[in-house]
Amino acid sequence: MGKLFWEIVDRTMTGPIMKEDEFENEFFPTKIAEIVAKHKIEYDPEEPIMSDPGIADEIFQAGLELLVEVGLYCKDTKRIVKFTEEEIKEVIQTRKSEVTLGKDRDAVTLRPRAPGDEQHPYTFFPAGILTRDVSKYKQYALTTAQEPTCDGLIPVPLTGIGDIKPASGTPTETLLALTEAQIMNEVATWVGRPGLFLGIPMCATTPGALMTVFASGLYNKYNCCMPVQILQEMRINYDRLNLAFFAQQHGIVPWISSCAVLYAYITGPVQAAVEIIAHTLGMMAFSDGSFTQAMSNTVDGLYAGPDIWWCNSAAALAAERNLNVPWISFGCMGHQVGPLTDESWYAIAAASITACISGMEGMWLVGGTTGLEARWGAEIARAAAGIKVSDGVAMIKEIAKKYKEPKHMPIPLNELYDLKTLRPTKEFLDHYKKFTKIFRAMGLNYPTWD
Amino acid sequence: MVEISDLRKVVGELKQKEAEEITKELLAQGLDPLMVLEDGIVQGLNDVGERFQAKKAIIPDLVKGGIVARTCIPYVEAALSKEEVQGAPKGKKILIGTMLSQHNIGKNLVSTFLSINGFDVVDIGSENGPWDFYQKAEEVGVDMIAVSVMFIPAREKVAEFTDLLNQLGVREKYKVIVGGAITSKKWAESIGADGWGAQAKDGVELAKKLLEVA
Repeated sequence: MGKLFWEIVDRTMTGPIMKEDEFENEFFPTKIAEIVAKHKIEYDPEEPIMSDPGIADEIFQAGLELLVEVGLYCKDTKRIVKFTEEEIKEVIQTRKSEVTLGKDRDAVTLRPRAPGDEQHPYTFFPAGILTRDVSKYKQYALTTAQEPTCDGLIPVPLTGIGDIKPASGTPTETLLALTEAQIMNEVATWVGRPGLFLGIPMCATTPGALMTVFASGLYNKYNCCMPVQILQEMRINYDRLNLAFFAQQHGIVPWISSCAVLYAYITGPVQAAVEIIAHTLGMMAFSDGSFTQAMSNTVDGLYAGPDIWWCNSAAALAAERNLNVPWISFGCMGHQVGPLTDESWYAIAAASITACISGMEGMWLVGGTTGLEARWGAEIARAAAGIKVSDGVAMIKEIAKKYKEPKHMPIPLNELYDLKTLRPTKEFLDHYKKFTKIFRAMGLNYPTWD
Repeated sequence: MVEISDLRKVVGELKQKEAEEITKELLAQGLDPLMVLEDGIVQGLNDVGERFQAKKAIIPDLVKGGIVARTCIPYVEAALSKEEVQGAPKGKKILIGTMLSQHNIGKNLVSTFLSINGFDVVDIGSENGPWDFYQKAEEVGVDMIAVSVMFIPAREKVAEFTDLLNQLGVREKYKVIVGGAITSKKWAESIGADGWGAQAKDGVELAKKLLEVA
């Protein structure tokens, strides 16, 4: 941040004007298709992991070109913020390559790791569940926070507080965000890890609520990041810029985040990976973020499957080879499956193995909902950290054969955990043990699996 | 000499100029305009829709399909008798928008599906509040309001919106349908919506059913 930030602000007021419909239906899809065709990047459905360094470099270059040719569309002014290649390259070259999240002995420092490095990707666990019941929310959070492999928490949004319903832009939104922050701090204290990284405020979306929750001190520059994520398909607004500026002024790490939606405005995993790179570079240009979250899902809401794994691995490897900033991705299947489904456990493992062999530094929302699922993802991330890329690819192919489109099978927490002791039930533990055996047979191991 | 399958093919391939020319030629040959519409234009659009379902096409293709269809339909309308035109769903006007959120992919999909199925769609875009929906509905006079809901605070705003329509005494004027990632049939019923769609394509069936379009 600095000169370029103020130039971006200026360009939102002086850049070329374009109607938003034209940008999203003509300009962006045409440009990305041209750039991908020029670089001859293709997706092979038989290869769920993209591990080719040459293709990774092409994806990175295509992403850089996409940002330079398309720019960032400012929704507030209907103008395009253009960049030169030199500006973006300077951003890449001058950015810090590590970030510390959390405080004191609970802090973790993410540094670039290559595919096959012994250092495992860090694992940030989900905390809470979609509910208005604050007690229930806290119980879920405790199941994950108490796990020894928890490197940080990511709150799941509350849907209300008892009878109080949240409305965006009103004090109820701020109340929810403050309640969430209070619970996260309580949970971290209860598990004896007061310096734990607490992710991003998930109950707040508007700048007013986000700034207020940081002003409270419950979330602060040590335990939380400020979301400045780009809007879909290369778009920004003044909220993004105001939040990036606020974060910079308060020493808060900006949460750079991109989630490409396959088969909506982009054709598939290749365009999605290219878009993720362009998004990341764009966010690095307007914020001083030095680590990024990148993931993808399909237009019909799936967060796992060969096309998703290909996209996530391709974008991560492209960044690992060319960007040198910590990179994290999604560590579960989203909300649509249940904790006792095989699909979910295979998908969690696939996400962790993909992270290891694609050079990622971390994963967020590992496991999806409960502590045991998070433990599973974190242990796989540690077990698979040093494996050869080819071995990891073979495992993902094995998983892909068994992977089926998931069905929604939620199970209440009291059927998964003894709520007094917060220990998993026998049935849940048996499911976990079943999968440790499956993955030991596939060649992975972790000390506690014995 | 062109055939109706040629029209279906070029509409499916999103070739605007060719589709326009073939439509004119087919009508000049004396073909039944409804057949040109159904077997040529609509079938071509269905082909685009099927490619989208199969993840071989993207939203901008659906939008282009709608543009191609809208280029051809005036020629069909001109050839149809007045009664037949009045029987088409085009007479039904639907307001659509996203409540609060900037995520507009689902809304755009529904908007496009409704449009290519002949409904007159008034798309008010993203980041709307209850009053935006109400004021625009009153201003343009619509039959139905479709609300896309993508995050939790927006759900409360939809409840506020249906309540607003009730309090202003205009609830009966409009059918209200909702959909989006964090919605459910149960929730839709709880806020008094007339219909809920799990998928974008459900919007068309809901509109046809609730607006009694054959």
